[in-house]
Amino acid sequence: MNYSQSFAISATGMDVERLRVEVAALNIANANTVLSADGKGFQPLRVVARSVLSAQAMDEGGFASLVGQGLAGPTSMVEPSGKAVRAVLDPGHPQADARGYVTYPGVDPATEMMTMLGASRAYEANVVAMNTARAMAIKALEIGGAS
Amino acid sequence: MTAAFIPPVTAIQPPALEAVLPAGVAALGGTAPVSFGNLVSNGLQQVSAQLNVTQADLQSLATGNVENLHQVMLRMEESRMSFQLMLQVRNRLLESYQEIMRMQV
Repeated sequence: MNYSQSFAISATGMDVERLRVEVAALNIANANTVLSADGKGFQPLRVVARSVLSAQAMDEGGFASLVGQGLAGPTSMVEPSGKAVRAVLDPGHPQADARGYVTYPGVDPATEMMTMLGASRAYEANVVAMNTARAMAIKALEIGGAS
Repeated sequence: MTAAFIPPVTAIQPPALEAVLPAGVAALGGTAPVSFGNLVSNGLQQVSAQLNVTQADLQSLATGNVENLHQVMLRMEESRMSFQLMLQVRNRLLESYQEIMRMQV
């Protein structure tokens, strides 16, 4: 049925936002893990969401066929964010380098909190969009009913 | 008077739907005639399949191996709405049947 397509679109949006929260939680969980002296260890990650829908306006049929193939929603990839590492002076640490610095992944807790907040709000927006489609379908079932 | 004079009672056979309908109810956009009973039973089977999917989802939710919650909720909503649609179709059918039964002959 037709409303299941708008459900599927909202579900792809929810998938992306949930992935964002998961990746932010992973970054925070690994914020205080030690990198080895040659820089091996946890790299901060971020989610990049893309859409295959092109910018130009498409006609009604093109959009419907894309939605039918499940291509209208965003696709997401997780890639390293490439933040600079955080060096802490701790000469007694077993992983300290020659100058006494221990390196940690460059995770910014404030940025991760903002990411989670934004993702949470965007998830709520997707839920509202899905609920609106559902309310419209439920309302359509009331057409001609005994009021 | 023996029992042989009494004709055996035969069960009343319901008339076949194809015989009642003169040309058959054509399917939407199709050429093959599809009986109304088939349409109804197909719809019922779809609703039942969706309810079964929801039941399986709820079982996996209860046992804790669910991949993501919103898919379960969305499928539950979908099956609820197909059930509502089935209910509305049934209400309309019953209404028209009762109207016909109230008809003065």
